Amino acid sequence: MTRVFEVLTPGLSASVQDQGRLGWRRFGVPASGAMDDHAAAWANRLLDNPPDAPVLELLLQGARLAVVEEAWIAVAGADAQANVPTWRIVRVRAGDQIHFPRERSGVWIYLAVEGGFEAERILGSASAYERGGLGRLLTPGDILCRKPDASFRLVPTVAGRSVAWSERRDYDSPPPLRVWPGPQWNCFSEHERESFFAQEWTVTSRSDRAGYRLTGIALKPQPSQIISEPVRVGSIQVPGNGQPIVIMRDGPTVGGYPKIGMVDPADVSWLAQCRPGAKVRFRIVG
Amino acid sequence: MKWTLYGPDALLFHFADKLGDAAFAKGRAIVAELENHPPPGLTEFVPAFTTVLLEFDPKQVPDPVRIAPDLAARLEATAAAEIASAPIKDIPVVYDGPDLERVAQHNRLSIDGVIALHSATIYKVYMLGFSPGFPYLGDLDPRLHTPRWPSPRTRVPAGSIGIGGEHTGIYSVASPGGWNIIGHTALKILDPGRAKTEASEESMFYLRHGDRVRFVGVTVKSNP
Repeated sequence: MTRVFEVLTPGLSASVQDQGRLGWRRFGVPASGAMDDHAAAWANRLLDNPPDAPVLELLLQGARLAVVEEAWIAVAGADAQANVPTWRIVRVRAGDQIHFPRERSGVWIYLAVEGGFEAERILGSASAYERGGLGRLLTPGDILCRKPDASFRLVPTVAGRSVAWSERRDYDSPPPLRVWPGPQWNCFSEHERESFFAQEWTVTSRSDRAGYRLTGIALKPQPSQIISEPVRVGSIQVPGNGQPIVIMRDGPTVGGYPKIGMVDPADVSWLAQCRPGAKVRFRIVG
Repeated sequence: MKWTLYGPDALLFHFADKLGDAAFAKGRAIVAELENHPPPGLTEFVPAFTTVLLEFDPKQVPDPVRIAPDLAARLEATAAAEIASAPIKDIPVVYDGPDLERVAQHNRLSIDGVIALHSATIYKVYMLGFSPGFPYLGDLDPRLHTPRWPSPRTRVPAGSIGIGGEHTGIYSVASPGGWNIIGHTALKILDPGRAKTEASEESMFYLRHGDRVRFVGVTVKSNP
């Protein structure tokens, strides 16, 4: 193992994530994994890392890392005015500090290192799921290591390597999120469905890795409770107060609220980067 | 068997309308079939009280609706098959929870009555959920049904045994929770350490879907 970073401060929250812990939901274990899999994948791709290489996920702002040993890194995702260029590869050197002082756009920041971070794998994944007792969040003094056999070699004739502008997302203007009708579609009247798709929903501050709570004109499903059944990442549950909760990567595996639909798996990353107060709209797939 | 498309790559099958021995036996038979003979392209399945979710690799199963009718027929046949009765696992419990009184009052029972009723049933593990390895156990004696706290506690310790509505369960990790806590077990329902010493990663979960559970009351001896 090769040491790369010391965590001076994790900021609002910092953890190691990968593509998730697949195949364990029947034991009540959510997949977890990078909240914005689009940005995390780009950070890895820039460094020729395998898609499942663990990355560092940072929430909003405040993280500060000290570089212990020289390495290639790539930062993508939310803009927190990092002191290194983002969406491109960067060579960092021992003694450098990397920090993310001010949130500006988006929620989740991804930092990848050549070869990927070393992290304990539990049930096949390095993703921290602290609430469930599988892995933990990073704390000051933690040392992050990378795989020593990194194959990354920058072609000398290439001045740099960056993500095309067309692939970078404007997190402040998400497109309408595509929704598949959910198992309880019929619990919502025509009028309720129209209300759901016509209105602009606001993401609330009571949103986290488990679920994003939205607020808007309340929906009234009939019945208001069902026998608990499996929920998926992207499932749009409507509890008694009529305000939808979209299940995110650390969310429960089962639930007893009617689900009007499910956000398409490819659009969950857009929602993940919506900050509290952001407006989102939905549209039916097809 | 009824089914619904659930996202672009998954199907939800409804194998029963209500909880009970029949639903439990069907669920167990379906899980055994999915474990032993998974349909092509199946990436993950999640059983619950009366439903089971099947997720597919979109490369192998681009349109799950096309395979749904055949699969429904197959699961229907599977669900009807006889299956050996589930193993019973004993859980030692100290009935000392802060909500014993609330459950007793709600049901007009004595605390001893609550304990007697709770430990008299052999429970079925209908599903795991809420947190890793947390078992939803039924069927709880109707004389013990107690609504959840309107506002959940911010922290319920791991090992707490609770009653939530018409179910009982065991908190596998410390978490917020709204169930009525009637006791605790020293047994580790979730123990990631166990998976390091035993061959299978599944060993970190003490209970599996389809198990049966018996609560065995124990008294704690105070230190001499």
